[in-house]
Amino acid sequence: MRWGLLGLALVALAGCGGAAGGGDANDNATVFAAASLTEVFPQIDPAATYNFAGSDDLATQITEGAPADVFAAASTKYPDQLYDQGLVDKPEVFATNRLVLVVPKDNPAGIRSVDDLRNPDVKLVIGAEGVPIGDYTRTVLENMGATDVLDQVVSEEDDVKGVVGKVSLGEADAGFVYVTDVKPVEDEVTAIELPAEAQAEVQYEIAVVKAAPHHDAAHEFVEQVLSEGGQAKLQAVGFGPP
Amino acid sequence: MRRPFEVLLAVSAGLILAFLLLPILALFLRIPPEDLLSQLTSQVAVDALLVSVKTSVIAHAVVLLLGTPTAYLIATRRFRGRSLVLTLIELPLVLPPAVAGIALFAAFGRAGLLGETLHAAGISIPFTQTAVVFAIIFVSSPFYIRLGIAAFEALDPALIEASRTLGAGPRRTFFRVALPLAAGGLSAASALAFARGLGEFGATIMFAGSLQGVTQTLPLAIYAQLDLDFDIALALGAFLVVVSVAVLLTVKLLPSWTRFTLISLAPSGRSD
Repeated sequence: MRWGLLGLALVALAGCGGAAGGGDANDNATVFAAASLTEVFPQIDPAATYNFAGSDDLATQITEGAPADVFAAASTKYPDQLYDQGLVDKPEVFATNRLVLVVPKDNPAGIRSVDDLRNPDVKLVIGAEGVPIGDYTRTVLENMGATDVLDQVVSEEDDVKGVVGKVSLGEADAGFVYVTDVKPVEDEVTAIELPAEAQAEVQYEIAVVKAAPHHDAAHEFVEQVLSEGGQAKLQAVGFGPP
Repeated sequence: MRRPFEVLLAVSAGLILAFLLLPILALFLRIPPEDLLSQLTSQVAVDALLVSVKTSVIAHAVVLLLGTPTAYLIATRRFRGRSLVLTLIELPLVLPPAVAGIALFAAFGRAGLLGETLHAAGISIPFTQTAVVFAIIFVSSPFYIRLGIAAFEALDPALIEASRTLGAGPRRTFFRVALPLAAGGLSAASALAFARGLGEFGATIMFAGSLQGVTQTLPLAIYAQLDLDFDIALALGAFLVVVSVAVLLTVKLLPSWTRFTLISLAPSGRSD
């Protein structure tokens, strides 16, 4: 009886190991996707298993051997890096995006443009360096000759949802996010468009992971995203064509 | 039957020990020790260390100052609603850190309960070092108070009683009898609460944000460096492990140390 219990525990443990190793009954793709894809990817394929986070974190997880099938990032940097390391197949651009400035609906700091961010009372939240949204934000500010507004930064978030959250809570006065992040929180925030010539080139890349436990499902998923139907859904929420 | 049972005990202990120690050992084996040290002198690491030390020390002072009388009160007085108070104190211990972060926003944030009052007074807490201190106090004070109560409850009531009957007032009894006698337990509680505060992550990253040199504590720096410079993240992680080991050793050594000092201090205490 006593030994039975121990045996049971060991069998359960072994079962877990098997599942993580890839022999599970579930044939759906496990997709590691940028946080900004949180709303749209489940519309394209509701059956896939998703892990949404900062593209940089996802890249680290895949490098450390996480059982991902597909990697979809909000930049070309990380998929290209993993491709160079031989961890993923050749990445393809599947969407583009652009940045906007968001402020809480009641706009406590009275912000109408990037210039207003220079007011010393403004609490600005941006993405951290190394996170795509953080790098793009710095590019946009450089293009506008407005890097001095970085002095107003009170927090550097690890992914774009951290920026969205703090602005929609009304705790931060402004933040730079993707235009596609605005829709889910349009009741809480107002988006301010940025000059087109200042925009960073925001390209999203997708790639099948070489060690994918569900290789076929992974290819199907990528095809779905690149298909007309997938592209229509991406563009319906504000993404640009590749 | 006895022999297989002994083997079972040993195997269980061996498995769990290996499981617990392997990741920590691996942390140190992943990069050479001299690299670990050089990473610790990087600007990010130094900034994070300074922020962590400053906020942890301030938070800990508040926790000790307010927590010790609170623990004494709950341990020695029987009042209506005592178990309710105990439960409320224990609540932050089991609360997910993200909930703690949201709760701090709801209370002290700009749109929070006290937001307008604080704003009128010209005070803004989120995204400041004060916010880091708040987050640390929120998660570490319940730890200290809970263990502090246990330390005070472990005292022999006869000693407290004797102090009273010999004419010492409640204040004198607290400072001259209860506090020195519970010192060992309180120090252990203090060390563990400090370590818990030093490792605070979830509530801080939400309520205080993450900004190098301002609110980015050691755990936040580890998270931020994970993708920028994995070696710095590793080095900071290894450093926190060393600090944690030091804290635990202190806790283990404290009771014997306190007993020793109490015995050696006793004669002089009697003569004054």
